[in-house]
Amino acid sequence: MASSVEQSEYFQRQKAKGAMVVKDPPKFDLESYISNYDGSTRLDRLDHIGSTSTYLAVDAYRIAIPEAKRGKNVKLYLALVEDFSTIAPNDPLATPDLGWADKKNREVKEEQDKLEHELKSYKNNLIKESIRMGNEDLGHFYYATGNYVEAHKAYYRMREHCTSSKHLADMTLRMVYVNIAQKAWLGVQSHLVKVDAAQLKGEDKTKLEPIISACSGLAHLCTNSFRDAATSFIWTSPLFLTLEPAAGITWQREILSGNDIAVYGGLCALASMDRSELQQKILANSDFRNFLELEPQIRRAITLFCNSKYSACLEVLEGYRTDYLLDVYLSRVLSAIYSKIRTKSIVQYFIPFSCVTLDEMATKFQLTGEYASIEDELEDMINNGVLDARIDLVDRLLISPPTNPRYNVHAEALTMAEKYDHTLRLRLTRVNLLSAGLTLQAEKGHSKDGATGLGEGIIRGLGSKLGLS
Amino acid sequence: MSADLLSLLFSFQPDAEELKQKTAYDTQVQQFIRQVSNVSAQHFQKGAETQQDVLELLNPSVNSISYIYALQARISAIADNPRSQKSVPEQLRPGGALWNKIVLFLETADPVQLRYVGSIWARLVLYLEQVARVMGTPALAIAPIRSAMQRLDPTTGTFTTTHLQFIRLCMETRSYAAAKPILDNYIHSLPSTIPLLVKELEYSVPSADHINSGEYIHAKSGHSDKIGASDVQEYYVLGGMAYIGLQEYKKALNFLEHVLIVPSFNIANGLMLEAYKKWVLLSCLVHGSVQAIPRTANGTAIKLIKGAAKAYEALAEAFVQINNLPKLRAQANAGRDTWAEDGNTGLVQQLLDNQYRFYVSRLSRTFSAIPVANISNNLGGTVEDLTQYLETLIASGHLNAQIERTNKPDLGIVLRFYLDPTQGPQAKTEKQQQQALFEQTARTNILAEQVRSADYRLSLTKEYVEHLKRANKKATAAASGEAMDTSWDENMVDLEEEDIMGDL
Repeated sequence: MASSVEQSEYFQRQKAKGAMVVKDPPKFDLESYISNYDGSTRLDRLDHIGSTSTYLAVDAYRIAIPEAKRGKNVKLYLALVEDFSTIAPNDPLATPDLGWADKKNREVKEEQDKLEHELKSYKNNLIKESIRMGNEDLGHFYYATGNYVEAHKAYYRMREHCTSSKHLADMTLRMVYVNIAQKAWLGVQSHLVKVDAAQLKGEDKTKLEPIISACSGLAHLCTNSFRDAATSFIWTSPLFLTLEPAAGITWQREILSGNDIAVYGGLCALASMDRSELQQKILANSDFRNFLELEPQIRRAITLFCNSKYSACLEVLEGYRTDYLLDVYLSRVLSAIYSKIRTKSIVQYFIPFSCVTLDEMATKFQLTGEYASIEDELEDMINNGVLDARIDLVDRLLISPPTNPRYNVHAEALTMAEKYDHTLRLRLTRVNLLSAGLTLQAEKGHSKDGATGLGEGIIRGLGSKLGLS
Repeated sequence: MSADLLSLLFSFQPDAEELKQKTAYDTQVQQFIRQVSNVSAQHFQKGAETQQDVLELLNPSVNSISYIYALQARISAIADNPRSQKSVPEQLRPGGALWNKIVLFLETADPVQLRYVGSIWARLVLYLEQVARVMGTPALAIAPIRSAMQRLDPTTGTFTTTHLQFIRLCMETRSYAAAKPILDNYIHSLPSTIPLLVKELEYSVPSADHINSGEYIHAKSGHSDKIGASDVQEYYVLGGMAYIGLQEYKKALNFLEHVLIVPSFNIANGLMLEAYKKWVLLSCLVHGSVQAIPRTANGTAIKLIKGAAKAYEALAEAFVQINNLPKLRAQANAGRDTWAEDGNTGLVQQLLDNQYRFYVSRLSRTFSAIPVANISNNLGGTVEDLTQYLETLIASGHLNAQIERTNKPDLGIVLRFYLDPTQGPQAKTEKQQQQALFEQTARTNILAEQVRSADYRLSLTKEYVEHLKRANKKATAAASGEAMDTSWDENMVDLEEEDIMGDL
């Protein structure tokens, strides 16, 4: 079946578009994987898996479509069905239930009118709390129908009616939630700062902290700041796993699970930290250990890296590439993270050697398909200044260049002296000109305005001076 | 009468015992000049073309003052203002008797005496050039003028209008190499106004043993006309072009920077624009990319220039993109008219030729050995052509590498870079390095001396400069009806002074 799915119109189109298509079966079980999640992220993740993995596409859509039908987001349902119809046209779920869609649309419209009407009446009564709740309800409603822009607006209107700092925090968390659904990461970051700034005390604060660090880690990850992401994730308190819902959202189920934190944090750390940092901040970090226990392969990869077994580490990571590609957030940045880990491994590996054959490098570091040969990859690394080495294409060696500090110091001293010499000469010329009163001035009769003075000055200057030269 | 004249002319003997004291020498010379300048032209004319000719009797290297007055009288008698070839008599034409006498004088005159007869000396040099021009052989004047300049001031470091005249002549006749001895000397002083009080001091009279030629070539000494900022700029632009002609791009670049840092009230002139255009191209040729403009340049002026030289910046940008070789070619073609109009076609062509060089030298940062075939795949062209090109690069010292011919057919000819800087054709031994460092130290010491004397001059004239500035300010305010803001300039003077002290 997988092959027919692969040949289906949908995946052919995706391939033509250059979108990612994953053929290998992942290590996880779809049912148990998706049971970790609730709310909109569930559909989001299913949609991502369905549109990426040829192996799981049918299963994913079969779970997703009935679920979408249970919700209020008609547009999403129709989109899912349409995608599915190009994958498995004969499946009973592949034909859109238009009657349901019409009915649902009507219902949604009615509900919207009702909520807006309610809000209006609250506004007339000028009761702050009611207006706030009216807006909140409207926000929830828009969120459920997938209209994130309106949801964001509705939540934002709550602001002036918030009477306690808890309300304010809840509202801001809602904004974060909407922004995550929109994948507007800069918005996420700015709202997170606001949550942090809301003056919550005691228990409330400790409850919110893990959410903030997890979400900001996610935002950093999706904006390619791996180092910041790693720091956010690894300092996330294990409290996150058992947190009560905040602002009506169960964050560890509706946004990202503990497993996700372990994977995201571990990979980002591998990509951005050196060996001693990994040892100190990851393996010796008792908080993060709670997360790492959920994903033992990440722990293994980090340990291998710290023990300088780079090829084994890369092998482990390669084994899970498919899994991670099917993760809705990780798929976009995975190749960047992997190549960072890979280049770091190569650099670390080469440090103790003065010369390694290219073939040895090629066997130690299997090609990932990004480059045609190990030479090309190494060449790129050297050109980017990551690796300090030279390639010998004749004897097929990677050579560490000899250094001659004595020579270099002499050469540097000489260039520096010449530079200073020249600078001093320029300054002296200038002083001489100044002391002789020779300063370029706008010619008399011109206004002080430089632009007009220049225009004519240049033309005049060129005319008279260049005629001579 | 003639005997009287002769005794007068010989009455000043520079080596006389009583003139060892510099002030005594000074008064004697002044008095002597007054007497000689009163002698009428007819007296000098007497006995011309005979054994009794004063020009034959006087020794130009001892009786220099007498000699120059005699020459002046002789010239004004026969052809004061030559306009056409006919008006130049035979003996004055290049190679003629009088011409040779002038040249001999300029080459051998006593430098100390020359300090007192600046304006006649300058006129004589100008006259020489005029004659050469009228005769259609301007190049013949180059060597005498150069010797004259060097005779007066061996460092040729004080700028005079003769400098400008000389470099113009060299550029017109394309005698770039002839200009080099003068261009290589750094202009460390400009003729300045020296207060009278200082002039009469024992060690400040022109005849004293000056370290710096700025002490005796000053605004009142007559060696130079009044100099404007644009004269100095023109000298540096033309000098830069001469260096370009000699393919000494590094020096040319440094020369043009002198044009860019000219102090300015937020305006630029055509010479700066011209210099900037060439500077951009040279910067690419020397460093591979456009460097930062010297910090002391006026920011507004530079901004104005940059706006007018966008095409050059685009070219430089294309040059940096070594992986995109055709782009530079396209840019160069697109602006062909601009380059031709500005007279920069040659430099642009150099840019095109040199981009390969930067490409190859960047390879040396990545590879220790690479088959030539690989390079030719990227650059196009045949392996043979490329090998030849690489060999010329290695021979000219641009590339620290060697060409190896292997037997393996799949590798063919191989370019192998030297990784250790102490090996290969570009390598320098420690001795050479040390030598270079010593030379640099010597240069720096000379420069320090020049800075010190510039500082001395500034400290002498500071009050005067400030007074002058206030007067100027009043004058311009009266002329233009509004006060100019010169506070910026004053600050700059102060800053520069501090800089000098710091650098010492």
